[in-house]
Amino acid sequence: MAETRSYDEALKAAFPSIVQDDAALGEFSHFLVPKDLLPAITHYLHTQPSLHGRLTLVWAVDDRPVCDTYGLHYLFTLEPSSRWVLLSTELAGDDRLFPSITPHIHAAKWYEREIRDMFGLIPQGHPDLRRLIRHEHWPKGAHPLKKDFPWDRVLGRQQGEHHFRHIEGEGVFEVPVGPIHAGIIESGHFRFSVAGEPIMQLELHHFWKHRGVEKLFEQQKLTTAVPLAERVSGDTTVGHSLAYCQAVESLFHLKVPRRGRYLRSLFLELERLHNHLGDVGAICNDTAYALPHAHCGRMKEQIMQLNDRLTGSRFLRGVNRMGGVAVDLTAGQLAEIVAELDRIEKDFSELESIIASNASLIDRLETTGVLTERTAWDHAVVGVVGRASGLDQDLRRDRPFAAYDELQVRVVTYRYGDVRARMRVRMDEIHESMRLVREVSVKIPQGPVAVEPGRGPQAGEWALSAVEGWRGEIVYMVMAGESGKIHRCKVRDPSFVNWPAIQWAVLGNIIPDFPLINKSFSLSYAGNDL
Amino acid sequence: MLQAIFLVVAQTIVLLAVSPFIVGLIKKVKARLQLRRGASVFQPYADLAKLFRKEPVVSTTTSWIFTATPYIVFASTLAAGLLVPIFVSRTPLNFAGNIIAVVYLLALGTFFLMLAGLDAGSAFGGMGSSREAIVASLTEPAMILSIFAIALTKGSTNLSTIVHKTALLEGIVTDPSPYLMALAALFIVAIAETGRVPVDNPATHLELTMIHEAMVLEYSGRYLALIEWAAGLKLAVFLSLIANIFAPWGIATTLAPAAMGIGLVAYLLKIAGLAMLIGVIECMFAKLRLFRVTDLLGVAFILALLGLLFFYILRS
Repeated sequence: MAETRSYDEALKAAFPSIVQDDAALGEFSHFLVPKDLLPAITHYLHTQPSLHGRLTLVWAVDDRPVCDTYGLHYLFTLEPSSRWVLLSTELAGDDRLFPSITPHIHAAKWYEREIRDMFGLIPQGHPDLRRLIRHEHWPKGAHPLKKDFPWDRVLGRQQGEHHFRHIEGEGVFEVPVGPIHAGIIESGHFRFSVAGEPIMQLELHHFWKHRGVEKLFEQQKLTTAVPLAERVSGDTTVGHSLAYCQAVESLFHLKVPRRGRYLRSLFLELERLHNHLGDVGAICNDTAYALPHAHCGRMKEQIMQLNDRLTGSRFLRGVNRMGGVAVDLTAGQLAEIVAELDRIEKDFSELESIIASNASLIDRLETTGVLTERTAWDHAVVGVVGRASGLDQDLRRDRPFAAYDELQVRVVTYRYGDVRARMRVRMDEIHESMRLVREVSVKIPQGPVAVEPGRGPQAGEWALSAVEGWRGEIVYMVMAGESGKIHRCKVRDPSFVNWPAIQWAVLGNIIPDFPLINKSFSLSYAGNDL
Repeated sequence: MLQAIFLVVAQTIVLLAVSPFIVGLIKKVKARLQLRRGASVFQPYADLAKLFRKEPVVSTTTSWIFTATPYIVFASTLAAGLLVPIFVSRTPLNFAGNIIAVVYLLALGTFFLMLAGLDAGSAFGGMGSSREAIVASLTEPAMILSIFAIALTKGSTNLSTIVHKTALLEGIVTDPSPYLMALAALFIVAIAETGRVPVDNPATHLELTMIHEAMVLEYSGRYLALIEWAAGLKLAVFLSLIANIFAPWGIATTLAPAAMGIGLVAYLLKIAGLAMLIGVIECMFAKLRLFRVTDLLGVAFILALLGLLFFYILRS
């Protein structure tokens, strides 16, 4: 606490005009900042060696119905202590301009464009003001997250063309890939500029299937939106629903019983297991080495069938609920999980040694798609990708949630940042997840698994929540509205921050290695495109 | 005359009938090794039948090259197949050409495929063509040299003569090293030319990594059927070359019905064995990085060259 105080004092000493909001103290430090000071303060937070602030989330709120302002919020994680610092500012009246922090902090680039598209607020000084989510055929002035934009409005079409960055010169040509792909892949467009096979530039053009998830949240009550959160990114059901539930539980001041928290950790690890197993196999398959793909596919299926037997859902839907979990497990079921994982771990260890001794595979994976630690840090990359590039961060250890404060999480990091490092992080985490499940099965206490909600929050109260899903940090901000409705729900899947980093990881690689690099990032298009 | 016509017809039927089976067998072996049940080995026949019934979709930006290519590829590959001994050591088109004709008939098909890949104007086709050009230009010398190493021991570039003499154990060099080197070289060439792992992956859906599949990405319907069938034929031609040059035993050296029957059975067994070997190899290796393919083909070239030199050393 004293340490925390010293960060806050240092910040206030450096910027006397900022005001600390003590209401949130304890969970994080919250400062109200005049908008003109934003670039200076964020720059200070980001670059000061003792703070080392990593941009975690930027969101806007349309508060005009209440107080005629737009709120802008910047959440930083201080690396030494994992403490959160939140900076807030307001745009009053007709003010639609705010200073861009992207020139100092790369990681803000998509957040600011997102705010521009969704709210019509303009980040002044942003180096790239092209539309991000609102593709060019969206009509002018359509900003869906403004409160006066009806959620069921059907958009018209206008003519428009997206302008890619071009590299010109002899022998340089562009390769457009997607948004329609040959396999069962979501929609995304990749524009390569290549000189022969080596990639000189990659530009992503995503956001083809905007579902309006955040707008849909605003049509829900705080107590009814869990199924929506489960479907933000289908492969991360537990991660997203848990992050949402935790935010709402802090709004309701609910304390989830210990058994419920243990079960949440257990299901989160099961989700991590089946996804990591699938990814390890898929990475091998993209090098045409199909044997591990077949075995990983089988093991993934075993875990999904286990999920089905335990909860009635292969994807663990309906497990999390407000106040705890909806599924309790018997001692027999816990023993079944451990026995099944023991069988799978034996097979997986054997497969690991086969993979490790296959020179032709290792040759494909090593030095391919290197994301340096510096680039990863600059783009605030999270999760598996960050840990493979040497960023030692894992919310299960750094900001424990569910039952992780009582579990020993060993965080896996590698320094090399190549495809192999990303695969090894996953392979090591598979063992670690299995170990954690066993630890849960031993330590889990008896008792209730959920509590019922009491009185709801006042309109305007809000809460933050973060969960280390299998891809990485999932962050939710939920703000209560009138009569139990949601005023604003900001969802951030790890894919949203990790996608841009691919553009740097592929540089200097050859174009046939791109699918492998992309697979090793294993990002969600849906979680990215809300 | 009647014999010649009979041979042409018989060999054409055998080649056309066997080639989808080879493709199906490789897939089956791969599936079994990957714990999958896999489709029936006869699935490729059904696929071809389906494709022939389907309407081809042709891009409006293509020229005559696009529609002519499937026929050229199919015809040139089949012609090459008729120059290679299959189950009778005498080839049907014996008079028309030797091993060099086989190499360049196959190259003709490859050349038109590369043109067709460019013709549709899609980015993937162009990439496939450019990659195929690298692979084809490097496999050609290795292939020629490896067969020359054998041809020298028999004193002929005529495949019938080579196979006939080997089958009758004439002109065999007692030290096997030139044969082994030429065999290894020709096998690598076969893998590269037919687009198998570790050079290319026929099973992938990732357009950016494809070589052969990228060139034919625009094809559909009967055009695709012809191209797929031609790809199977090419595989059959290469496997027949390997089987009959290096292990021609069992092949019919006369046109007696009994000899031909034995020849056919022996041929099918040899081809099935080689196809299974390819299936096993595809399960053991990851695909090479594109620029490492040149190293592999360099190895094939050196092996073929060494085989040739060894022959001279052993003879003197």
